[in-house]
Amino acid sequence: MRVRDLQRGRVAWEAYDQLVIATGAVPICPDLPGADAVAVCGVNTLQSGIELRRILDDGGAKRGVVVGGGYIGLEMAEALVRRGLEVSLIDRSPEVMGTLDDDMGQLVSQALRDFGVTLYLEEALTGFETKGGKVTGVVTDKRSLPVDIVVLGLGVRPNTALAAAAGVPLGGKGSIRVNGRMETGMAGIWAAGDCAESFHLVSRRPFYIALGTVANRQGRVAGINLGGGYATFPGVVGTAVTKICQVEVARTGLQEKELGVLGIEWESAVIKSRTKAGYFPGAGEITVKVLAERGSGRLLGGQIVGMEGSAKRIDTLATCLHAGLTVEEMINLDLGYAPPFSPVWDPVVTAAREVVKKL
Amino acid sequence: MAKERLVIIGGDAAGMSAASQAKRRNTDLEIVVFERSPHTSFSA
Repeated sequence: MRVRDLQRGRVAWEAYDQLVIATGAVPICPDLPGADAVAVCGVNTLQSGIELRRILDDGGAKRGVVVGGGYIGLEMAEALVRRGLEVSLIDRSPEVMGTLDDDMGQLVSQALRDFGVTLYLEEALTGFETKGGKVTGVVTDKRSLPVDIVVLGLGVRPNTALAAAAGVPLGGKGSIRVNGRMETGMAGIWAAGDCAESFHLVSRRPFYIALGTVANRQGRVAGINLGGGYATFPGVVGTAVTKICQVEVARTGLQEKELGVLGIEWESAVIKSRTKAGYFPGAGEITVKVLAERGSGRLLGGQIVGMEGSAKRIDTLATCLHAGLTVEEMINLDLGYAPPFSPVWDPVVTAAREVVKKL
Repeated sequence: MAKERLVIIGGDAAGMSAASQAKRRNTDLEIVVFERSPHTSFSA
């Protein structure tokens, strides 16, 4: 393996008996003129965050545009508002947070508007305006926005150019194909984290997801095997949580568009409840959507949007997905209850009861 | 006999999790991690 020391510029060959590729992911950058201009920022490493903050600390930035309404885009939009910028967000979809179904994503879009972010939805980025190498505008298919800083939140792709050049077999979205022990198709080479492929336990298909939680678990499995032990990584159910302003957002399992592609027939229910007993001080609204397979009643996925105390309720649904429970079985889950924590029926169970009625 | 040498490319969540697990289980392993940025385990 050839290594370049970036501080001294020295290049050396390194020998290995076993090699782990943990090269992560890189932000997707649009192939448009001006995408490399100063103050057009992708954010997916500590270093890129430091560089973005330096631009803001240098002052002068008054207008920020975020491209992409996923986790990074939303969290950055909030951060820019908190820094006092006038913030707009562009996304191609009808609602932000494309990992939720639109009926749930709409709640997140509204939370952003309430926080002061201007949304331009169903708009596509078509270019940048620059002056002297620095970005001055963002152009969409519908308008042109003057801007001092642009944050790209268009998602990531696996950073696997090195692996591909070495002939390591790739899988979905260019991620490195691995077996359950995290071995690649090339002897002595292992992979883990955002550069590696995973497996979806609900669809039972290979799946690419770039999350630190998954990276930690895959890395642990690879390390146990490399240290002489035996471990396997079973896969993921696609659980993720975030918080935008006051609003907590969570999702797990398969969403409607994924179910449509897979040809799985489903029923869904959306319920509104409270995060604590309704009469308890500080109880906030929570909306829960649950999706179950028509016929079998197998839980397929869930989404939650609500106030403090909402998001981590997704872990109940994620655990049910791992266990392969039906929504009928969920009704009798022995979950904790006292008025400061929950209504007597936990909102996720209330949603399961609603979907059972439709099956 | 030379120590078995484990090389890891990338010193964030996956790379460092693998390194620490491997070293805990086999302290005789020689482990080298290469990381492009000045930071390790920044999201782990």
